[in-house]
Amino acid sequence: MSFTPNHTPFELDPARLSELALDFASNPIYLDNEEWQNTDNPYRRQLRPQIIKYLNFSTPLPKEDLLDYSALAANRLLATVYETDMMFLPKGPMTAEHWADFKSFYSSTNRARGEMIRPYLERHVFGFLDDIEVSGEWTKESLVAYLGRLRDQPSVPMASEKAIRESSDPKRAARNWLIQFAPDFLSEASPMIRNAMGYYGPVQSEWFKIIIDEYGYGVHESKHSTLFERTMTSAGLSPDLHRYWQYYLTSSLMMSNYFHYLGRNHEHFFRYLGALYYTETTLVDFCERGADLLTEVFGGEVDVEYFTEHVHIDTHHGRMALEKLILPIVEQCGEAVIPEIVRGFEEYRAIAQLADDDFATQVAWMDAGPQNKKLHDPVWKKVESGEVTAPVAYIVEPRGELSNTHQHDGDELCHIASGTMKFVSGYDSHQILEAGEGTVIWRNRLHGAIIESEECVYEIHSVGDYRACLS
Amino acid sequence: MLVLTFAAEGAGNCVEVGSVPYVYARTARGAFVLPARCSHRGGPLHLADLDKAGVRLVCPWHGAGISATRLIKKGIPAVRWGNTVTAVFPVPADTETSTGHLPLSRDLCGMRAAN
Ligand code: FES
Ligand SMILES: [Fe+2]
Repeated sequence: MSFTPNHTPFELDPARLSELALDFASNPIYLDNEEWQNTDNPYRRQLRPQIIKYLNFSTPLPKEDLLDYSALAANRLLATVYETDMMFLPKGPMTAEHWADFKSFYSSTNRARGEMIRPYLERHVFGFLDDIEVSGEWTKESLVAYLGRLRDQPSVPMASEKAIRESSDPKRAARNWLIQFAPDFLSEASPMIRNAMGYYGPVQSEWFKIIIDEYGYGVHESKHSTLFERTMTSAGLSPDLHRYWQYYLTSSLMMSNYFHYLGRNHEHFFRYLGALYYTETTLVDFCERGADLLTEVFGGEVDVEYFTEHVHIDTHHGRMALEKLILPIVEQCGEAVIPEIVRGFEEYRAIAQLADDDFATQVAWMDAGPQNKKLHDPVWKKVESGEVTAPVAYIVEPRGELSNTHQHDGDELCHIASGTMKFVSGYDSHQILEAGEGTVIWRNRLHGAIIESEECVYEIHSVGDYRACLS
Repeated sequence: MLVLTFAAEGAGNCVEVGSVPYVYARTARGAFVLPARCSHRGGPLHLADLDKAGVRLVCPWHGAGISATRLIKKGIPAVRWGNTVTAVFPVPADTETSTGHLPLSRDLCGMRAAN
């Protein structure tokens, strides 16, 4: 019998991809929540399947569109896909609902469907990094010089830290900030563990040592996630997993997804080394400033040990990443792997920058709530008079209807015809909108809404750029 | 070793290290850091075009050929993200440097497609 091998790449056409993404997200555990928060149920995440048919995940998003809704949707999906590899349990006893959700989350159906769409989602949100170009002849010496420059940079506050300090409500801003770290810190080092498996020489054991530190040497009280739980609790937040799912910004999910992406796709192992060096090295200054910032905002009662512990341990991790991981790997595998290490370093730097800007803008957006409500009037006047025409949606919703959080790809005007809407622009941040009132909604800014009257009739005008309407 | 950051194009796209000016060149085959002065008589290599095959830079003064492949693979180690280039020069870290601007030929700013 002759055998003709037919080995083909795994590919999905855009229609099939969309169908599979919709199917994955339609799992009952991913449907819209009637509450703003998830309560001690690590399997529930809101993926808004009803919108998926309008999205196109089949091509990489350009850099300037990385905060569009499609990026938020893809990052929410990706976080969910990655996390089926991880073990989660509720803090309290397993109720019948927990049992059902647990089985559904870890089911082969959920995992297989997620795995099919994963490569496309990754390309959709991380494809823009292909613009990073590494050239020339890299040697160990040039790599050390290149990496060393970061270590020697002075510690300067990031835009996010500045935004919190200067916010009209620093406590609210700081709580939102802590919430952004929850997807990463509560399961801290889990992506790293993806590279602890296998058989690849002495570096494997060095890699494992970093994990041991993160895991608090097997003492639960000193596990880094436990420290972060204490920070959250002391700041008035609850540390159950993904309670604040609806308040995660696109870029926060992206930061945490990025390491899963590297760890899940072992062909990116060398990039992981570069990215790890970046994060371990910057974390020292970041945590030092973070501890000060939180103490400044909340006073002495906030528990900042998570941050101070990292100041101590990550000083070693930056050095370990270079001396025990990167240089030995270059020694073992050859200088040809250096461009990938450099690329990983630049990739994570780019993502961290994006996340910093995203969060700072979200603070501005929350703070601007009252002004945006006032801006409704002049923009509405232009719409009403017909001077501005934009696509419009007329919506009628009953009491308690909760629009799970999302964002739009352009500015919008929300106008309430009748009833009352609570418009939510972040954790603990909202405006009450009554009939005749409304708000301007900024492009790419996370928001949601809940109806607080028997019925609410409202209009959403997709004006594109609200400032242009006013000129 | 000296690590420098400069622009891939536009203002500030030239760094002078010691007394050698460098620019960042993008061709269809790949990008590289280019010493802007020809080793023959100092011709303006930033204005060089590629030969027909697209593999060698041709100095505008006396036509010396410089291998682009070599510059891509064996040149100054560099990484570009957006318009920012970071490059590591094999000179002492305290070498004098300055930043300026040099125009680039069409072939060196990525205008010519791969053939
Ligand atoms: S100066 Fe370049 S060939 Fe003479
Ligand atoms: Fe909306």
